[in-house]
Amino acid sequence: MAEAVYILCAMTSVACAVLLLRAWKRTESRLLLWSGLCFVGLAVSNVLLFVDLALLPPSIDLYMPRLLSTLAAVSVLLYGLIWDAT
Amino acid sequence: MLRSMLNGAVAMGWLACALFFLRFWKQSHERLFGFFALSFVVQALNSAASGLIDAQDERRNYIYVARLVAFLIILYAIWDKNRGNRRR
Repeated sequence: MAEAVYILCAMTSVACAVLLLRAWKRTESRLLLWSGLCFVGLAVSNVLLFVDLALLPPSIDLYMPRLLSTLAAVSVLLYGLIWDAT
Repeated sequence: MLRSMLNGAVAMGWLACALFFLRFWKQSHERLFGFFALSFVVQALNSAASGLIDAQDERRNYIYVARLVAFLIILYAIWDKNRGNRRR
């Protein structure tokens, strides 16, 4: 059950990234570009989540890389919102 | 300690993003922005909970369910927006 949630998190975040970046290519809206890049970071974090908790043994802990990729994703969106998209 | 701090930073970042989208929503009355704000608030609560709940706590799984809900809100928002465009 838990593994299904991890893989769904990964799949939905990848889908969000793809849809937002496709919408950006169509409309050239900068807000969509930053949102899409944010979701690329979240997709990385969630793929790592699945790899960490479902594939790798408990002795290997990817918590920090997951947390840092999420922080990077939020920072990218915040940078875009503050400097570019408003 | 470092983990809690970083989780707190992520939560704060999500809340700041949510406020930006809330402003866009108030200005444009575009539902897409409202859904984005809602999703980011869920993600902020999620990060705050991650920082507070112990790694061995069994309730941890619910955090990932909430995260999934946040992503599904975004997917619904994009679908809703595309549907609106097609109808117009």
